[in-house]
Amino acid sequence: MAKSFFRGLLTSVFTCLVWCACATDQTYTVAVVPKGTTHEFWKSINAGAVKAQRELSTNGTKVEIIWKGPLREDDRDQQIQVVENFMARHVSAIVLAPLDSQALVRPVNNAIAAGVPVVVIDSDLKSDKYVSFVATDNYKGGQMAGEEMGKVLGGKGNVILLRYAVGSASTEAREAGFLDALKSKFPDIKIISSDQHAGATRETSYGVAQNLINRFGREVNGVFCPNENSTIGMTKALRDVGLAKGKVKMIGFDAGSLSIQDLKNGDVQALVVQNPMLMGYLGVATAVKHLHGEKVEKRIDTGVVLVTKENMDQSEIKDLLYPPLDKYLK
Amino acid sequence: MISKQPTVSRRILNILGPFLGLLLVIGLFSLSSTVRPYFLTGQNFKIIFTQTVIVAIGTFGMTMIIVSGGIDLSVGSAVALTSVVGAIALSNGHSAVTAIIWTILSGALIGLINGIVIGGFRMMPFIVTLGMMGIARGAGKWLSGSQTVNIPETTPVNSLMALSKPTQLFPLPMGVWITAALAVLMVIVMRRTVFGRYLFAIGANEAAARLSGIRVRLQKVIIYTVAGLFFGLSGLMQLSRLTQGDPTVAIGLELDIIAAVVIGGASLNGGSGSILGSMIGALIMAVLRNGSNQMGWPTYMQEIIIGVVIILAVGLDKMRQRSRTA
Repeated sequence: MAKSFFRGLLTSVFTCLVWCACATDQTYTVAVVPKGTTHEFWKSINAGAVKAQRELSTNGTKVEIIWKGPLREDDRDQQIQVVENFMARHVSAIVLAPLDSQALVRPVNNAIAAGVPVVVIDSDLKSDKYVSFVATDNYKGGQMAGEEMGKVLGGKGNVILLRYAVGSASTEAREAGFLDALKSKFPDIKIISSDQHAGATRETSYGVAQNLINRFGREVNGVFCPNENSTIGMTKALRDVGLAKGKVKMIGFDAGSLSIQDLKNGDVQALVVQNPMLMGYLGVATAVKHLHGEKVEKRIDTGVVLVTKENMDQSEIKDLLYPPLDKYLK
Repeated sequence: MISKQPTVSRRILNILGPFLGLLLVIGLFSLSSTVRPYFLTGQNFKIIFTQTVIVAIGTFGMTMIIVSGGIDLSVGSAVALTSVVGAIALSNGHSAVTAIIWTILSGALIGLINGIVIGGFRMMPFIVTLGMMGIARGAGKWLSGSQTVNIPETTPVNSLMALSKPTQLFPLPMGVWITAALAVLMVIVMRRTVFGRYLFAIGANEAAARLSGIRVRLQKVIIYTVAGLFFGLSGLMQLSRLTQGDPTVAIGLELDIIAAVVIGGASLNGGSGSILGSMIGALIMAVLRNGSNQMGWPTYMQEIIIGVVIILAVGLDKMRQRSRTA
């Protein structure tokens, strides 16, 4: 039994050697590795990747997409395994949203050394060997929020910044952009709290927001939260004590379905929205461009848009708020 | 159960059982003509071996514990905590050797506490280590301030698990060789030493073991402490792999390790199990993951398949045992 098995293995090794020697594959295989697979954000990135694949295919470049998150969501070691396995698989290119700017450096450099180019999306990586970094300009997103805050408050008032978490590069850039915009353009606006962190879940952010509103509820005029769960938690806390509906101006980041609801109801005045679908699209398109031997930009900005109740029904913004996932993922 | 020595043919079958499983899984992924050229290569097996190291070293400790009739649910947390301890030592400028010793000893300390509570107070290992799972995870987050602790890039610790020359089988990372050497050592310890025989005796029938003069409670303390040394070593490998100490890593790792030990033919009732089997169990799961990645199977398929494999492996083992007694 074991013997015949072994012979089978040997035969297959031999066939594969022959196969390798004569076949030249014209199809590009691009592995897209997100941080997780369940959040809406990653589904939009998946849809964008599929969109790129379809467009490239109609233009004569055959591309196959392998969409593969880590087995356990947000587990760095699992994501390293996925990258390593695709390196061994010799995919044409990897499009990666690294879970950690340091832990993923070695596997990415290994893949590049093994001849598999890597395009980094969403979050930065402490390496300079990747082909390109395709992501939101988070600092600019924060600045837009700051300018909008100055506008809705008429240039004066007390503002709270509820931070997200220590060590998260993307949200720290948003927070810095927000504070810089207020300081440089609206000197009469006072920041009354900017040292509290919402934490990773809706539950933690809700608790922190309640404490903050309890302390500053009487003097605060505007609040900025730099990501989805802090926005949702803060809006809920404001609603609890009757400060929603614009009594306190609330500006948030990212478009989760709850935040969009809050924006419609007037509990949130504005949302800074990223474009994950474009990120997935440009990630794959950039990788293929590189495979064609064309030069690509080292940093590609996928843009942010300020969404308010007034402009949320425009068609291009509707596409951002409700990405046409079914069109690409069915 | 120890008195009844299995015949040679049965022993071969016992060893071959999981081995056939491994060949079957490898064969499965070799069927696809698009994946085979990449799957059956030296460089891919280098990756599979490297990805097996952390679980494999964990199975050394877990096999001892399960054979002696116990269980340890705190392994994942212990790995996270020890990796944080090592990272803090390194980032505070201690030498690699000091950091390695600290990492492994902190694993042993967790095991010692587990062992003392289980042996000393005669408490259920399931409950004690369930508690330790939370304690060690929390302690890791506390020590690290709930953040990852980056370590200097040049430290020799990083090279333990580094894949150099990613396009060929050799050189294998140091961690793979350490695992292989420890496996040989552990096979000898389990089969040829008094301590090894005690493990099987306690697991097969604790009362009988005690009546025949084995100091069961002391042995339990020793078992959990030695196992802790291995979990600390797993933590060191995790540190080297991530090049950072991460208090949130390895959640649920203990379940992978227990699954590997069980696929390898151990019984959760104690009294049976082998190091070789557990190693192969760990490899089966690594190959499954590697193969499903390369086939482009969705993540949920992997989870389902691994679940099915665990139940199949244990089911087959039961059938084999029944046919033996019949």
